[in-house]
Amino acid sequence: MKFGIFYEISVPRPWGPRTEYEVYQNCLEQVKLADELGFDQVWAVEHHFLEEYSHCSAPEVFLTACAMVTKNIRIGRGIVVCVPEFNSPVKAAEVAATMDIVSGGRLEFGTGRSATWTELGGMSADPDETKKTWDEWVRIIPRMWTEERFGYQGRAFSMPQRAVLPKPLQKPHPPMWVAVTSPGTELDAADRGMGSLGLTFGGFAEQEKKIAEYRRRIRYCDPVGSFVNEQVNTVNFLFCHEDNEYGAKTGQRLAGTFNYLAEQLLAARQAYPTRSYPNLGLLPALRREATSAPEGQIPEGLCIGNPDRIVEVIKKWESVGVDRINFLLNAIETVPQEEVLASLRLFAKEVMPKFAEKPAPRAPAAVGGD
Amino acid sequence: MPLTGTRATTDFEHGPLLQPGGDPWTLPGVQVLQVMYELEQAAMTSLLPPALHPTIPPTLVITAWRVPESPAGPFTLAEAKVGCRAGARPRALSVEAFCDSAEARGALAARWGYPVRDAEVEFARRYDRCWVTVRSGGRIVLDAHLVDPEAISGNDIQYLATLNTARVERDGATVARLVQVDPEYQFHSADRGMPELLAFDGEAWGLPGAEPYWPVSASFAVADVTMPELRYLVDPAKPPLAAVERLHA
Repeated sequence: MKFGIFYEISVPRPWGPRTEYEVYQNCLEQVKLADELGFDQVWAVEHHFLEEYSHCSAPEVFLTACAMVTKNIRIGRGIVVCVPEFNSPVKAAEVAATMDIVSGGRLEFGTGRSATWTELGGMSADPDETKKTWDEWVRIIPRMWTEERFGYQGRAFSMPQRAVLPKPLQKPHPPMWVAVTSPGTELDAADRGMGSLGLTFGGFAEQEKKIAEYRRRIRYCDPVGSFVNEQVNTVNFLFCHEDNEYGAKTGQRLAGTFNYLAEQLLAARQAYPTRSYPNLGLLPALRREATSAPEGQIPEGLCIGNPDRIVEVIKKWESVGVDRINFLLNAIETVPQEEVLASLRLFAKEVMPKFAEKPAPRAPAAVGGD
Repeated sequence: MPLTGTRATTDFEHGPLLQPGGDPWTLPGVQVLQVMYELEQAAMTSLLPPALHPTIPPTLVITAWRVPESPAGPFTLAEAKVGCRAGARPRALSVEAFCDSAEARGALAARWGYPVRDAEVEFARRYDRCWVTVRSGGRIVLDAHLVDPEAISGNDIQYLATLNTARVERDGATVARLVQVDPEYQFHSADRGMPELLAFDGEAWGLPGAEPYWPVSASFAVADVTMPELRYLVDPAKPPLAAVERLHA
């Protein structure tokens, strides 16, 4: 089991002249500490226009800053929106390769397509097209990284032969992932030999079924990259405190705030009738399942409370086949920075050692580095 | 935390008096036109009461029903609603609506709190477009179209639950409440197309300052509609997390 941290970078109103600066500085301080404590990865999303919920529209810049203040933690671009109105595939490949170089070969490359009308409408993207362009891009970006010169005649993208430069430091290229919010996308990941970067929470039973099907399907995959990245990454909330009641209460406040912000956005499906978005995507239909619990009880899958409780929760996640867990540490600064840092330290001291001697993840083919 | 409405709650004190009860209504073969636009942000919070959050981005949701058969006879209903959130729940606020049948107006207002007024409501469908036009007080207050329909699945359409502006008996007093109405739809067919809003008078819909400016989507469906039993109300004056209450405590 590997542990990471995950950033939406949510910024509370009122937005003063330095509010975003202070939130970004807090995030960087957390990343630096997480690296020192032995966390394995830091991920940052790409979202646009999502007021309060996420002010992280240029994650490549934030993650490069993370790389500059850390030594070992892997850098997760989570995710590149593979929609032409958001990003060019050439630019995405170039930026990713540069991040891999400047981080010393620490890049993890996440892909996705956006799930809100707030973003898709804002970029004038066609919701019907996003799955198709994503599918095209995840096949051509690894070729841009590995072929000396790349030329292509495609459906949504074409280019004459050019040398796409620079090339990533990791050979043949960084591990590739798919953001999984809609049910069934984990199978898209499996069929393409990509890691499943789960962005919804869900309960144990639901996740176990999905992971089992992912493991079954990836055996027969047609990998889009040069290798199969069979790994299951999930997202969770973290608030670890010696006092279980305080930890759970604070953690639930964090989860509740995060979900409340997400619900204010306009899901693609709520605005535009299309088969391309059969459910609410990033909006928390699944998160609700994970964060709702009978009065007085802690939702079963959340990593909140004291270290003993969190160890038990993670063991369950491990038993259903999860390889990595990424933690959301805050939402609109609802948890004071000092408490976030203390939570990270306590987790590293009391929880991480319980999983340090475990066998390697169940993904023998997951070889990202050179 | 998210923005909340700033509208005076006195604006919500003039809805119909809710008198729930009676036989269930299932309406066969209802034609439903929905047209969605983004609204200018400037007036957004002034359209909503303190109990509701605006969506990001703010939206206007126009819905028209042509009902060929109902216990109150045939009728056509038109609504222009503001997309919003009641706490974390997606909803659409209706302050004024229009209906062309007196008997239907009476039933819709009493049983589900629809703030309906009399108007000429034209609902028309051609192969190239479908539209609703509402004439009230001698002028057109709405002219909304779906252009170039293409077939889709009814399952691809999502209708938001409506919050109707009404008055409710509570503890011996009559108070303003937003009444949650969330009908069930059994789809027979569905189309989507380009939205086109040729006329919209915000004042007439109780939405002064609402400026729809950016087209989002349009859908048309034929569905059997089952009117719901009411369960939830929203107190417009309370903050979002404290505003939802049960109709029958």
